[in-house]
Amino acid sequence: QTKWNLPTAYPIDNLHTENLAQFVKDVESGSGGKLVITIHANASLFKAPEIKRAVATGQAQIGEVLMSLHENEDPIFGVDVVPFLASSFKDSKKLWDASRPAVEKKLASQGLVTLYAVPWPPQGIYAKKDINSVEDMKGLKWRSYNVGTARIGELVGAQSVTIQAAELPQALATGVVNSFMSSGATGYDSKVWESLDHFYDTQAWLPKNLIFVNKAAFDALDKATQDVVMKAAAAAQERGWKLSEDKTKWYLDQLSSKGMKVQAPSPALADGFKKIGEQLTADWIKKAGADGQAVVDAYKKM
Amino acid sequence: MFGAIPLPELSMILLGFLVVILASGVWIAVGLGLVGLLAMVLSTNVPIGQVLATTVWSASASWTLAALPLFIWMGEILFRTRLSEQMFRGLSPWLQWLPGRLIHTNIIGCGIFAAVSGSSAATCATIGKIALPELEKRGYDARMSLGTLAGSGTLGLLIPPSIPMVVYAVTANVSVLQVFLGGFLPGLLVMALYMGYVIIWALLNPDKQPPRDPSMPFMDKLRQSAKLLPCMLLIAVVFLSLILGFATATECAAWGVTGALGLAWWSGTLTREAFFDSVMSATRLTCMIMLILAGAAFTTAAMAFTGIPAALAEWVKGQQLSPHMLVLALTCMYIILGCLIDGISMIVLTAVIVLPMVKQAGFDLVWFGVYLIIHVEMAQITPPVGFNLFVLQNMSGKDTMTIAKAAFPFFLLLNVAVLIITTFPQIVLYLPKLAFPD
Amino acid sequence: MRMVLDRLYLWSGYAAGAFLIAIFVLMMLLSVGREFNLNVASGDDFAAWSLVAMAFLGLAHTFKRGEMIRVGLLLERLSGRPKQVAELISLSVAGAFIGYFTWQAGQLAFDSWRFGDMSQGVVVIPLWIPQFGMVAGLAILLVGIVDELVVVLQGRRPTYEMEPAATPEELIERIASGGGV
Ligand code: NA
Ligand code: NA
Repeated sequence: QTKWNLPTAYPIDNLHTENLAQFVKDVESGSGGKLVITIHANASLFKAPEIKRAVATGQAQIGEVLMSLHENEDPIFGVDVVPFLASSFKDSKKLWDASRPAVEKKLASQGLVTLYAVPWPPQGIYAKKDINSVEDMKGLKWRSYNVGTARIGELVGAQSVTIQAAELPQALATGVVNSFMSSGATGYDSKVWESLDHFYDTQAWLPKNLIFVNKAAFDALDKATQDVVMKAAAAAQERGWKLSEDKTKWYLDQLSSKGMKVQAPSPALADGFKKIGEQLTADWIKKAGADGQAVVDAYKKM
Repeated sequence: MFGAIPLPELSMILLGFLVVILASGVWIAVGLGLVGLLAMVLSTNVPIGQVLATTVWSASASWTLAALPLFIWMGEILFRTRLSEQMFRGLSPWLQWLPGRLIHTNIIGCGIFAAVSGSSAATCATIGKIALPELEKRGYDARMSLGTLAGSGTLGLLIPPSIPMVVYAVTANVSVLQVFLGGFLPGLLVMALYMGYVIIWALLNPDKQPPRDPSMPFMDKLRQSAKLLPCMLLIAVVFLSLILGFATATECAAWGVTGALGLAWWSGTLTREAFFDSVMSATRLTCMIMLILAGAAFTTAAMAFTGIPAALAEWVKGQQLSPHMLVLALTCMYIILGCLIDGISMIVLTAVIVLPMVKQAGFDLVWFGVYLIIHVEMAQITPPVGFNLFVLQNMSGKDTMTIAKAAFPFFLLLNVAVLIITTFPQIVLYLPKLAFPD
Repeated sequence: MRMVLDRLYLWSGYAAGAFLIAIFVLMMLLSVGREFNLNVASGDDFAAWSLVAMAFLGLAHTFKRGEMIRVGLLLERLSGRPKQVAELISLSVAGAFIGYFTWQAGQLAFDSWRFGDMSQGVVVIPLWIPQFGMVAGLAILLVGIVDELVVVLQGRRPTYEMEPAATPEELIERIASGGGV
């Protein structure tokens, strides 16, 4: 019997962790109990920033992490957070199919085997006032936490504010921040309606969680078990994608029922964002070079 | 590496090793790290050294934890000001009429100072350095005066800000702000218990009470009390920076330092030397605590690899143990531990094992944090290792046991406080829930 | 040699103190800056890294000053030869552990450099740079422990065992601002 540890940063009742639990069950039953995986949820074994490193160096055998967390290391990890490049589940899936070979190649160079990826619900804008065009965003106290959000803040003339995710609810309550971008899921989890009342469903991007396994650990399995893992991973990706899409609507309904104005962006706002998106895609391609260009070209052809 | 050792045996081996290594006088942080190493050697075949480096790096490079040195520094600056004298002069005119008279300045003075200091020993020493000689001069009962100081000094830990609360919050992965808020009402409760005890004692022993100070015209009283303003202003600066949205929970520690520096400058005690000393003292105390936290972070990960915490939580679930029985057992354990080791070590040494059990039993982790902090308070005044006892021993020249005896009623009152917050958890949870409704 | 070592501990302690002030300044800049439309990009990361540098660079100084806590109940009851042996055991155990720790921390920083690991916030910094603070601090602590080992082997009183305080005030200050929280 082989035992694997699986660190993840998200709580047990999160959609990704629920999906992961089913994956683990599939692997265990499929391998006839030969491979047992223990999930260490809620960053109880390793914290999010360290999970990739921990799996690459064999401290854990398998792990899950938000792919874009590593965009500073290689732009390919940030392809799914280029604003407005892929802004629906369908496009996001195409983008993943187009970028998967490049991501796999990069991970393989670090001794990691890619299993699957599942997106978070699309990112929208939370605010305290009406935003009918990008000009309305000028002067907002805007939480920026990565390159993309910082650039958006810069381009619309908002005031970037550095706040850690853990302090966001308190920062919202006391007005340290009055707008930020995130998914309906995050807004629901942090009870954003207590401080803000507008949600613009801009579907700016769909960040993905990536599940990978240490290559040496994977190679140590017999062929049959390897096949079981890969089959379960394919099923988990399919299931997770659907789960995320189903939950998206549920989360937005919850936000409305709590009294938030959940709405699609006005044509003027959408138009402004489209321009910003083009600019940021160009930024990204410049950073990612020919490989990045190839990924975007492949995506656009799909 | 050695195949699977059954968990009960493994737990016993690790516990025995921990006791031996700590008793032998090895530095606590090193001892913790070694227990983690042993746990991993006995139960996994992952690269142990890499886990050590990764978990320590990950635990130390923390924004939330960066508030810790600032709260420590704030206390160090205030310790070097004349705040305590101002506090005594400002409070004493108003407390003459209460049975127990100026003994109450110890309790209220510590309570107010606790709202700007995160340390118990510092609170005890700061208030004690002026109150102790003044009370002696007026002929107050020495035993009562020492006991109240020892007991009230511990309020530094319960009334926010609090160094061990930051340590707990980071260890248990709960919001520092919520634990801070949770400690506020229990802090007032403990003060009320202490004052009630002093009043009853004074009524029963009228002969042990010196006569009143000559009474003062009302305007003079007010003038004296104006001396309390700087301290109140400092408390206001910290809270307002947070509430008005100038600062996050972590950043308000920096506002505390700014306020403390301002206060020291205003009172003329901010010399270059005092500033320098405060920085270096704060640095050393932080280094000491951070290395223990580093050792604990590694041991926590090591324990997760062994599976012991999860198994224990399962066991608690299976036992159908009533939550109150669990709390009673934990209370006994913490009182014994508290006699022997310091509070921070007590928190981090037990967190790995206790937190999953407590969670399983359905306790709120913010509530448990406050419960644990009251036990840390007790640890400060139980012999042989109790830092408030050491402080007072040196201030009064009496031996540890005499002071421990004087502090014993207050140790019992802290137990009463534990009983009360266990029966009425709302006392802890009211403010955190008010600020973060669920 | 004595002077060089003592300066090493002291100055790394000063460096740690400087990082404490850096944390303070960063947080005030973040907080006050927001009111003036000034954002310290990745200020949270820089504060966290300063904390690491502070916590580790100050270790040797803290250790030498006897402010690293241990359970002294048994040690305090010993004297003479048994006490020397007990101290030697403690120091050897601590030296071995910190040596191993230093090596592994070095490995971590080296891997970060080798893999090109970057910080994850808005400002991109190679992670080996902040990690180096941890390695350096541990290495200096290791030197300090070996130094003490030699002192005790020579039959002298360990530096971390403080002289009894001259005045009660000194002792109060030591306890209030050191060992006990
Ligand atoms: Na306090
Ligand atoms: Na004690």
